[in-house]
Amino acid sequence: MSHVTAAPTAARPPRAGRPADPSPRPRARGDRGTLILLLPALVPVLLFSVGPLLYGIYLSFTDARGGRNAVISFVGLKNFGDVLADTDFWSSFKIGLIWAVSVTVLQFLAALGLALLLNQNLRLRTLARVLAMAPWAMPPIVIGLMWRLVYHPNAGVLNAVLQDVHLLDHNVDWLNDFGTALPAIIVVGVWTGMPQTTVVLLAGLQGVPKELHEAAAVDGASVWRRFWNVTLPQLRPVIVTITALDFVWNINQFAMVYALTQGGPGGRTRLPMLFAYEEAFRYGFFGYAAALGVAITIVVLVVLGFYLWRQMKESR
Amino acid sequence: MRRGLRSALAVAAATVLGLTAGCSGGGNDSGKPVTLKFLSLAWQKDSLAANKRLVTEWNKANPKIQVQYVQGSWDNVNDQLVTSFEGGDPPDVIHDDSSALAGFAGQGYLADLTKLIPTGLKNDIPDAAWGTATFDGQGGQGIYGVPFLQESQVILANKKMLDAAKVRIPTSGDPWTWDEFQQISKKLTVGKRYGIAWPLKSPVNKVLNLSLNFGGTFFQTSGGKTTVKVGPQEKEVLQRIHDQLYKDKTADPSTLGMGTTDPLPGFYAGRYAMVPAGIYLRQQVVEQAPSGFQWVTIPPLKGQTTQQGAISQTLSVAADSKHPKEAMQFISWFLNGQHQVDLAKGDWLIPTSKTAAQDPTLTTDKYGWNVATASAKSLILAPYLKVNGFDEFKSKVATPVLQSYFANKITIDQLAQKLTQDGDKVLERYNK
Repeated sequence: MSHVTAAPTAARPPRAGRPADPSPRPRARGDRGTLILLLPALVPVLLFSVGPLLYGIYLSFTDARGGRNAVISFVGLKNFGDVLADTDFWSSFKIGLIWAVSVTVLQFLAALGLALLLNQNLRLRTLARVLAMAPWAMPPIVIGLMWRLVYHPNAGVLNAVLQDVHLLDHNVDWLNDFGTALPAIIVVGVWTGMPQTTVVLLAGLQGVPKELHEAAAVDGASVWRRFWNVTLPQLRPVIVTITALDFVWNINQFAMVYALTQGGPGGRTRLPMLFAYEEAFRYGFFGYAAALGVAITIVVLVVLGFYLWRQMKESR
Repeated sequence: MRRGLRSALAVAAATVLGLTAGCSGGGNDSGKPVTLKFLSLAWQKDSLAANKRLVTEWNKANPKIQVQYVQGSWDNVNDQLVTSFEGGDPPDVIHDDSSALAGFAGQGYLADLTKLIPTGLKNDIPDAAWGTATFDGQGGQGIYGVPFLQESQVILANKKMLDAAKVRIPTSGDPWTWDEFQQISKKLTVGKRYGIAWPLKSPVNKVLNLSLNFGGTFFQTSGGKTTVKVGPQEKEVLQRIHDQLYKDKTADPSTLGMGTTDPLPGFYAGRYAMVPAGIYLRQQVVEQAPSGFQWVTIPPLKGQTTQQGAISQTLSVAADSKHPKEAMQFISWFLNGQHQVDLAKGDWLIPTSKTAAQDPTLTTDKYGWNVATASAKSLILAPYLKVNGFDEFKSKVATPVLQSYFANKITIDQLAQKLTQDGDKVLERYNK
């Protein structure tokens, strides 16, 4: 108990787990210095991220329209009321949800398989890992253009291969057929997003202690049982994080789908971001488009919050 | 620590100075020559060469008004213009088409050229063509672009197949009727070969322009309010194309989702005998068709008339341009009769200039130029050009509905109902 009576001159006892700060003045000066050093990085973030974000939220409460000398008036929640009543938007949002959930789930399953493979002691493992990351290095627009060629009804490699193996007897216009357009872009989405999910899962796999596998093997657990009862539970925090992030990235997808289909045919691939983009840049309804952006963010946050809450509840 | 603080301040100051330097510049000294930015959307090889050559010639002859050529693309010109207009730094001279001008004029982004257009240029272009660039702007009705190239819809046909089927080759004076065209398509459909390919990835303009053959206008205005109408006249062309796809089975359904140029490889390979096309597509055939491939340009089809909706390529001046007079000077020179001949030949389109239309190179029967130039007589102002909100109607309502109809997912009555109900809802937004 001697430490209770010690240091009579200290103004405040140190908080649990933290050492006492012996020299508060120099530290305060250090904070200022750090802040100034951070300014060059902070200014662009404030200017180009936070500023536009706040401006977008402000616009969502106005009737802002494109036009020279356009007068902007505050309209309160009118835009949000219009969003709720906009059946076109909700059908686009439904397509967005189908797209995001499908891509996230399929991407996760494919990435998990690939990560398990790349975690083995294979020959040329490093080369395989590098090649698996290739789609990550490609800009979304380039991916869109490349897959447009793959899916081309006359000159596309997909039709040629399927006809060579007698799975097709005629050319299919994958990106313009009402039945195949959405599945076709989902495949591209999975292919594009797989590398980053693979990297994260691979890192997670490498963090699973070998001893657990060895102990389970000694107890006679099969490979499948070890995967189900050892690997997956150990990966759970990684899986929750990466699927949540993937979902957010996917629902916000724009460039790749724009390059592939521009939302067609018949609006079958018009994701919510494409819908908002058209409202702003084609029709000039900036206020309404901003409200769509805010609404999408809110709905995604709610869906994501529910998902994370469920996962946390189950892991307790 | 003090030294560290000083370093931090230095870094911050340098950054701020750097940013400031980056944001400044570009001022306009009155002693210097005026520089105009010219956004051109030329993309065909000959057209690009003609545009660049004309700009170089102008710059040599006009040291005080220099033109800076800026290459744009039809694929993203709308985004490029909207962002540059909103950013307050648009190009001075803008190449676009008349369907895009209505919106930009209404939003006040384009200068009204009515008082700037010289008489010579005004008289050299027919009133009907000026009509395609006349819109309601923020200051009332005005001319918001100089129309210079127009496109008509013709049919490119495999000559050997027509001859083998003993089909009459029509002339501009005696064109095929739609009935005749449908009969001929049946004749030309043999085995796995189809008579016609309808590439309808972007069906709206094509259908609306052709529907004028039967007087179909799709819009009506009453009491200042525009609404959509789909009656028997509007249904004619829609129904006939649908019949070719699903009743006569003379049109290849696999080409439905294609863009205009996509069916050409199948056309060369003999998978279909005819392809409906804008006249500019002749250039691709001339450049790409295998040697020995014989083709012919079929003049516009006749319903009640051969009338088609016209859209023009235009040159406009941005309202924010500091040099509108100089910009108009350049446009007036750039679009004189002789230069329009060069531009029309480069893009394989019809010039609006009356002088240019008489040039012998545009009336020769080589590559169907005589048919293309004569088709200008069929062009009338497309009614949808004057509809406020047409772009949204087209993208949100008409494109998906027409695609669904041509994919045989809905009936023509459902199409009519959707176009009018959903279309009116969209137009209501602009009627306010």
